[in-house]
Amino acid sequence: MISILRRRTELGLIVLGSVIVAGAYTLASLGRTSSIPANIGPFLGIVLALFVAAHIATRRYAPGADGLLLPIAALLNGIGYVFIARLDETSSHPQGLAAAQAGWTVIGIGAFVLTLLFVRRVRDLQRYRYTFLLIGLALLMAPLLPGVGREINGARIWAYVGPISFQPGEFAKVVLAIFFASYLVEKRELLGMATFPRFRPLLPDLKHLGPVLLAWGFSIVIMTAEKDLGSSLLFFALFMLMVWVATERTAYVGVGGVLFAGGSVLAYKGFKHVHDRVQDWLDPWQHASGSGFQVIQSWFAMAWGGVAGTGLGLGNPDRIPVASTDFIFAAIAEELGLLGSAAVIFCYLLLVGCGLRIAVRAEPPFEKLLATGITILFGVQSFIIMAGVTRLLPLTGVTLPFVSYGGSSLVANYVLLALLARISDDTARRAGEVLEKAHA
Amino acid sequence: MNKQLRRLGAGLVACYLALFMMVNWVQVFHAEALNDNPINTRKIVRDFNQPRGKIIAADGAVLATTVPSAPGDQFTFQRTYPEGDLFGHITGTFNFNFGATGVEQTYNDELAGVTVSQEYQTLRDLFVDHQTTGDVTLTLRKDVQQLARDALGEKKGSVVVMDPRDGSILGMWSFPSYDPNLLASHNSKDAQAAKVFLEGNADQPLRGRAWQERFFPGSTFKVVTGSIGVEAGIVTPDNPVFPTETAYKPPDGQPIQNFGGESCGGALFDILRVSCNSAFARMGAEDIGQATMEAGVQRFGFNTKNPIDLPNAAVSNFPDTKNSKAFLGQASIGQFDTAASPLEMALVASAVANNGVIMTPHVMKDVKDDNGKVLKSFDPKVWLNAMTPQTAAVMRQAMVGVVQSGTGTAARIDGVDVGGKTGTAQLGTTPATSEAWFICFAGEPGKPSSVVVAVLVEGEPGASEGTGGRIAAPIAKELVQKVLEIQQAGG
Repeated sequence: MISILRRRTELGLIVLGSVIVAGAYTLASLGRTSSIPANIGPFLGIVLALFVAAHIATRRYAPGADGLLLPIAALLNGIGYVFIARLDETSSHPQGLAAAQAGWTVIGIGAFVLTLLFVRRVRDLQRYRYTFLLIGLALLMAPLLPGVGREINGARIWAYVGPISFQPGEFAKVVLAIFFASYLVEKRELLGMATFPRFRPLLPDLKHLGPVLLAWGFSIVIMTAEKDLGSSLLFFALFMLMVWVATERTAYVGVGGVLFAGGSVLAYKGFKHVHDRVQDWLDPWQHASGSGFQVIQSWFAMAWGGVAGTGLGLGNPDRIPVASTDFIFAAIAEELGLLGSAAVIFCYLLLVGCGLRIAVRAEPPFEKLLATGITILFGVQSFIIMAGVTRLLPLTGVTLPFVSYGGSSLVANYVLLALLARISDDTARRAGEVLEKAHA
Repeated sequence: MNKQLRRLGAGLVACYLALFMMVNWVQVFHAEALNDNPINTRKIVRDFNQPRGKIIAADGAVLATTVPSAPGDQFTFQRTYPEGDLFGHITGTFNFNFGATGVEQTYNDELAGVTVSQEYQTLRDLFVDHQTTGDVTLTLRKDVQQLARDALGEKKGSVVVMDPRDGSILGMWSFPSYDPNLLASHNSKDAQAAKVFLEGNADQPLRGRAWQERFFPGSTFKVVTGSIGVEAGIVTPDNPVFPTETAYKPPDGQPIQNFGGESCGGALFDILRVSCNSAFARMGAEDIGQATMEAGVQRFGFNTKNPIDLPNAAVSNFPDTKNSKAFLGQASIGQFDTAASPLEMALVASAVANNGVIMTPHVMKDVKDDNGKVLKSFDPKVWLNAMTPQTAAVMRQAMVGVVQSGTGTAARIDGVDVGGKTGTAQLGTTPATSEAWFICFAGEPGKPSSVVVAVLVEGEPGASEGTGGRIAAPIAKELVQKVLEIQQAGG
């Protein structure tokens, strides 16, 4: 019965979210051209159809899943789409980003449904952990391969295979989270035992620290070779936090912190792009028209929005560089104001809350750890980019999950969302909250 | 592991809380500073793409208004100034690249309609977009300004006309002026060329010399010196009686001569009437002293920022004379490094006229919304208490004497109480030129004075004490008559 209530809540919230998105779409059009978009009916229909399809798949394949995941993603995805469409149409070189993002949303929801369809039990994934590791490493390294990788906007994070280009790092996130979770389930006892140093054991035998150092090494490689500070930070945070949760040993966080600090200082001194980022964070005004331009424009946009925002379609967010990807949060903050930016922040907090609730409720360690990993990915990635855009932290370019323009990111995040839904469904089944015949 | 999960949750909540606070800071608490940042063009672009309120003279003439741009223009609206150069310095101009000047600058938010009281007049306005631009009505009148321009003619100089009772500026003309339409062009090349041309002119037509430039006030400053002496109890109408001499010879420097080597002396009324240099130099240097002079001039607004609601008002200066009686003597008669804007000298006259009180000078009368509802109006405020009413009464009598039977007789008007003071500041000797000054107040007999005029004509050939009275006083007289006529008609 509880599961049916969850599904009803989900459906209700999806309808509400779709109406909000359609309303925002209408307002953006009114703001820009003072006319109601001609396709508002079909638009609402498509948004509803997409997410109701995802809802029906959930009903069918994961009836006990948490009911908030999908509506939150739908709302964020929809708001993101409205802004991408609005930004692209007013830009001097429209690139058809809105149509592309719509296509990616369809594919993302397809990926969500397929993940639910194929991953019937999360624990099945545990078996392929080294396969996932290899895939993950291959994906991470792909942009570095000559002929495949390409450097765009100073970061080497793109891979070109035939006509298709994508950011392999986004998918590496998914498989590495699965790998970390299964690896840590296996090693958590060993890693949890402190034998070193002898006089006051704090850490496990040094040989077990290998993976920690490996993760650290990887982060450094990503940061230096691919110049992708955001992903580097994200992977490192993911691994350290998962190790900490798995082993219940705070010392790891300490060691990780020391490694991180050391790495940061070295990177700051040794690499110009890291140095520049930190300088632009500390004082963007000294290069106001150069490297500090992005953050300053972001601030101007946010300040211009004030409390209530300029209104959709009525601001000037096209002045922020890369507004539809990394800086989309600033565009939202300008046109929807503090109310809108706070709403987005709380959406992510809600998503984090759902993820952690799923993790706490899950009994099997693998599921618990995987849910934790996915939650960390959502929570930390969103935080990193929003903090960068607001200049709370140095800017490290990552996408804002579900909101930013980008196919790889959107699809990967829907897969992560499906995995979370699956874990919560497994838990619900175990607790007897799902009538098995409903799943027949 | 659940304990760690809870801590992880708490940690993430802390991160997001920090983010939320940061967003609050940027969007609310620090927003105004960011919006006003000079490299942020959002405000300017907004201002150029929306209608803007009018600037209107007190007698109804439209001085600045907004019309739709020509097709193909980058902005929606074009600012125009129908009166051309007549109010160029006052309205200023509104240019995308150089920003706003004059009233366009000081009352930018009111004209653009973005003050809080304009945006949110009722709760409904929170949700409904409505026309918020404000029309700024000035205290200046077109007829007064026009007369000032005609009376001064093609001579470099300034005319300030004000009401001493409330500080409102009725006319303020500086020649040469400029046509703000030239600088408001949206064609940035044209506007830039006009700006370069105007800036290259040695006579500085872009400067409102009436309040943005300083000049030697010459003998008009004797009103200040005399007032300080009376206020300090050092000088009365009868005492001291200054010796009749051709020059005041300070112990430590050059003698200070009277014009044309004449001899003069006597008590306050006599020496002001004939504008006796030796007597006022002696009064400042020997009787009043540097400390009392410095404190006194401050009460008249020297060495202080002028509060007028126009940008870049000059700070009138009274110098540090470094314990030199020679320097102090010169400074006391408006020479040495004493420098005042014509506006400041008008305010000196207004102090005498208004029982010793200087009202805050202002050009804004009120701001109305597009329904004619007054959103705000300028409340007359006291700027300075220059002297007691008793001192003011003494000085008033002294200045009336100047017009009755002294150097300022050219400003005498039958049936009107006029008091004034001439001034001639000599500049250079080959050829000798001088700045001709006249400051005066006037009103119906037995009533408080209702108009103050300061006139400065620059670059007059020759240098005699009569220059100010001969050149500047007739201009002031014309304006006094005009303003009194308007006031009697209830305007």
